[in-house]
Amino acid sequence: MTLLAAIRPDDWNLPLFLHLVGAMTLVGALLLVAVSLAGAGRGGSAAVVRLGFRGLLFAALPAWILVRVTAEWLANEENLDEDPPGWIDIGYMTSDTTFLLLIGATVCAGLAARRAGRGGPQGGGLNIAVVVLVAISLIAYLVAIWAMTTKPS
Amino acid sequence: MYDWLLFLHVLAAFMVAATAVMYSAVALGASPGGPTIRVADVLWNVGGLGTLILGIWLALYVDGYEIWDGWILGAIVVWLIAMGTGERARDVLAEGRGNFTALHWVRTLAVVALLVLMVWKPGA
Repeated sequence: MTLLAAIRPDDWNLPLFLHLVGAMTLVGALLLVAVSLAGAGRGGSAAVVRLGFRGLLFAALPAWILVRVTAEWLANEENLDEDPPGWIDIGYMTSDTTFLLLIGATVCAGLAARRAGRGGPQGGGLNIAVVVLVAISLIAYLVAIWAMTTKPS
Repeated sequence: MYDWLLFLHVLAAFMVAATAVMYSAVALGASPGGPTIRVADVLWNVGGLGTLILGIWLALYVDGYEIWDGWILGAIVVWLIAMGTGERARDVLAEGRGNFTALHWVRTLAVVALLVLMVWKPGA
């Protein structure tokens, strides 16, 4: 069984590599946003609030798209797109749900950055909302990583 | 057993990659704050150790791999480069002198190279 687990057709390597690059960038960007905003407290500096918005818009969302596109590519290569097993369903469910959370977080972060840019309050409740939405996404991705590696049927 | 080893190995790899992403923000001119850097450093230490220990454990556990396979030895060398440049980048950033950006991008390239080796497993 462990020998079988080590064997994978070469055709799957490129989409798998890109899928992992996307997933790792996504998780890294979300950790950056969550820790920066949480570490800055309720009234984070304008620079940190901007970083939160840019991290989501320019890193997390493009990475999510890369993860999703390469997931479809992989499922197609493995002929799993017709009748996907449970672990792929977990992946789809996670990615679709967290996309909505990431959109929500990006909008909140954008509003917070706009307020901060005008010299208003530095985030406050909006920052907390971003941290909560991103934290929920990170927990979901932990489950997804478990499902992708252990492949429960 | 294999599933848990792989899960924890991959999780450790995510920690290493997350550090590279978090430090990339600094290399690109952002100031994420002290707590972020501290969290990134903890992730780097835990992830770095985890990838090595669990990776060697996997190599011993899986029938198709041997610890002296070229791609595994290559991965250990690249891991050493990543950890060395990562440590140096952290020190340079803390001291405020030296070329942090160059060290960071070398470390990031090494992390990507590790991922290439883990996916393609040349010679396996």
